Amino acid sequence: MSLLALILVLILSLGAGLLLQALPRREHALPTYPQRAPFLGGGEPDTHAWSRYHVRYYPMALLLIAFEMEMMFMYPWAVVFVEKGAMAVMEMGMFLAILSVGIVYAWREGVFRWQ
Amino acid sequence: MIVSELILPLFMIFLTLGLGIYAAAVLDRLLAARQRIPVADSAWRSPLSNAAWLLLQQTNTTEAPDTPAWQLAPALYLSLAAMGLSLVPWSPTLIATDLATGLVLWGSFEALATVVIFLQGWAANAHLALIGAYRYVALGLSYLLISMFVLIGVALPAESLRFIDVVEAQAPLWHVIGQPLGLPLFLVVGLGLTFWGPLNLADSSDLSGGTSSEISGPLRLVWQMARMAMLVAFSAVAATAFLGGWLGPWLPGPVWVLLKTLGVLALLLWLGRSMPRVAPERCVTLMWVVLLPLAFVDLIWAGTLALLMA
Repeated sequence: MSLLALILVLILSLGAGLLLQALPRREHALPTYPQRAPFLGGGEPDTHAWSRYHVRYYPMALLLIAFEMEMMFMYPWAVVFVEKGAMAVMEMGMFLAILSVGIVYAWREGVFRWQ
Repeated sequence: MIVSELILPLFMIFLTLGLGIYAAAVLDRLLAARQRIPVADSAWRSPLSNAAWLLLQQTNTTEAPDTPAWQLAPALYLSLAAMGLSLVPWSPTLIATDLATGLVLWGSFEALATVVIFLQGWAANAHLALIGAYRYVALGLSYLLISMFVLIGVALPAESLRFIDVVEAQAPLWHVIGQPLGLPLFLVVGLGLTFWGPLNLADSSDLSGGTSSEISGPLRLVWQMARMAMLVAFSAVAATAFLGGWLGPWLPGPVWVLLKTLGVLALLLWLGRSMPRVAPERCVTLMWVVLLPLAFVDLIWAGTLALLMA
């Protein structure tokens, strides 16, 4: 019943969002081509927007993946935490300490800077 | 059974979404009026007249947009908010999606929001929108961890990832007092998730609208509604995780959840109106070097408290 409710919420809200966009637009004609020029602060659109863009935060994204893997262990860990007591604290503390060294290293390397 | 487990919770979700979107729009205008920012018409009527105006407006487009993605992004963002709201328990029995992994599912909605917002910026095929989207991904990847650590801290005393257990674990002491760092950090996540106020890097005015610089008409209306809906859903989750959800004297549970949601919503909107926007180049460092270690401290605090109280 829970999953059925979730799927119903998804279908209803997605449908409402799409219909609210689609229904009123049937009344209007598409804008002319001069009107369709993208707003670029007044500049002429002479290139496609999907051009080369340096993703500066790529190393940061790699660091995030390391932490996301850690989260995968952390979910079951959270459930048994009180039961296991001090042992769980030590284990996760060590894990987090090692990952924190990664943050310090990445910080030193300028991964979080936006140049 | 169908009425109590399906129809009633669904009714609550869509009622909260509808009223919440309107309440958020009104509150934001009232806050703007307090700062002497001129609001056309009265704050109560202006969201409705603005919505009607957008609904009747002609939709502009760009030369070669990704049209399906452009229409899907606002609708998906809206449904992420609606699905997030379906995880919120209104009372011990009134809940739409009661999963043992509710907190994990909410985390996945936060991650998917980044995808949807990038899609919105990408679909327009215009530079400013795309730059807003790229910027947003940097922010989205940074707040994700803070959110997860703070929510794990909430799961520790409950010994469960189920939202109902999280609320019941707060019967002796609400987490907003027991874990003082939790709610402030989670509010930062909320501002990031809805790119609101200080963390508005996607739609900011220095990109003349960013991801929404090219949208008009009904598309713009749904995008704005989806953002408000996400604010409401986030407030409801924050009220559940930190403010004790349905717990409270005299009034019935669902009323308490609604009141607490409204409180968090007002706080978020006030923060959005009163704080300056963070410079995007400082945002990533702030998140990883200052706020993430604070989230570690919150987790250690929560763990120690959970062991002491157990």
